[in-house]
Amino acid sequence: MNRTLGQELKEFDLTKCVQCGKCTASCTSGRDSNLRTRRLVFLVKSGRDVSSDKDLWACTTCYTCQERCPKGVKVTDAIIRIRNSSARAGNRPSIHLTAIRSLLESSDGFPITPDVSKIRSMIGLPIAPVDVAHDEAERERFRKLVSALAISGMAKEG
Amino acid sequence: MPYALFPGCIARNMYPSIEKSTQMVFRELGLELVEVKFTCCPAPGVIRSYDFDSWLVIAARNLAAAEEKGADLITICNGCYGTLEAAHRHLSKHPECVVMVNERLSAIGMSYRSKSKVVHFVDVVDSMLPQIASKVKVELGLKVAIHYGCHYLKPSCESGRNVESPEALERIVGTLGCESVDFPEKLSCCGAGGGVWSGDEKVSLGILARKMRFIKESGADCVLDICPFCHLQLDQGQKRLKNRYEVPVLHLNQLIGLSFGIKDKVLGVHTHMVSTRDIAKKAKRARKDAEAEA
Repeated sequence: MNRTLGQELKEFDLTKCVQCGKCTASCTSGRDSNLRTRRLVFLVKSGRDVSSDKDLWACTTCYTCQERCPKGVKVTDAIIRIRNSSARAGNRPSIHLTAIRSLLESSDGFPITPDVSKIRSMIGLPIAPVDVAHDEAERERFRKLVSALAISGMAKEG
Repeated sequence: MPYALFPGCIARNMYPSIEKSTQMVFRELGLELVEVKFTCCPAPGVIRSYDFDSWLVIAARNLAAAEEKGADLITICNGCYGTLEAAHRHLSKHPECVVMVNERLSAIGMSYRSKSKVVHFVDVVDSMLPQIASKVKVELGLKVAIHYGCHYLKPSCESGRNVESPEALERIVGTLGCESVDFPEKLSCCGAGGGVWSGDEKVSLGILARKMRFIKESGADCVLDICPFCHLQLDQGQKRLKNRYEVPVLHLNQLIGLSFGIKDKVLGVHTHMVSTRDIAKKAKRARKDAEAEA
């Protein structure tokens, strides 16, 4: 569903934010990164374009800010949806694109390696896991499914 | 309804000892399991951050695959739970999204009908404590630093869980004859989620370093997780930190397996990056003591 940022604002109650800063104080990532949740919410609320803000991608989505927000703003859910707008606008960290392409191709976010196949065999598991990635027909169906999705377009465009 | 085990990419493809331990423990507990072929959940940190609808469709494909076999999904990973449960919940509230995912799924002859539930294995284990207690053959007596991770507990508006003082893992650890040790940052994130593990190593390891220091200072024999992604971060991540903490890392199903008297090499616990030798030695001694008593 093509949501606009305005709808996102409403859906996640960003307009209720009183700028108390509890989110920034609770932020796991903010102690090691430049992510300042309160500032981010303020900018979005003020209608500013944050799509190229790299700090958006420092959020670990731990949900602590959302849990502690006294106004019930769905901060983490909003950050995830703001990232959607950012990715649509072409801000796509290349390391993530590599992971996405791998997932779309293999059906696994973390594809198996020869070393792990050896460990599987050593501890008595079938070398190939029972999954879509190791069933050629199922994998083809998966590729067909994802080829029509927006994320495939993003992976192609880079 | 039987369960379809959703092991997730990391348990299958990076930490197969977690998949093996899970299979053995679930068999011991008599859970009825059916085999279903799944894809990546898909990973919430990256995929949902890029395109919510694509994330929803791939998740619905996995939910629909379990429905076809008449099974509920049981996850052993907070990330998979975060995706599958959240997608299931979102679809239950947004009929327009059900129409959208079913349009996509129809291209490959599948459909989502909201028939299967998604459960986190911790809730199943927590509901079976008397059975667990009766199967504990060796009391390891370990001091355990519990790491809940994020997406089993949060967001609480949906999970309904007590996120500031959860108790399930403390109960389970106690039932296994181990002791939960407290430490600052116990409930904080491991630093891997949200695409940060792959996207920003400095931030990811900075978060982990702080947590590991407190875990080390707590005197814990091991750190316990309920998620292969946290496990990956805690085990491999420790090796990438400047300080060498060398605190062994166990997924809950591995600790349960050891407590049920299954050898570490059968579970595959010896394949971790951080040595689990001290845990294995304690388990061996406890097994011998238990046998001598019997």
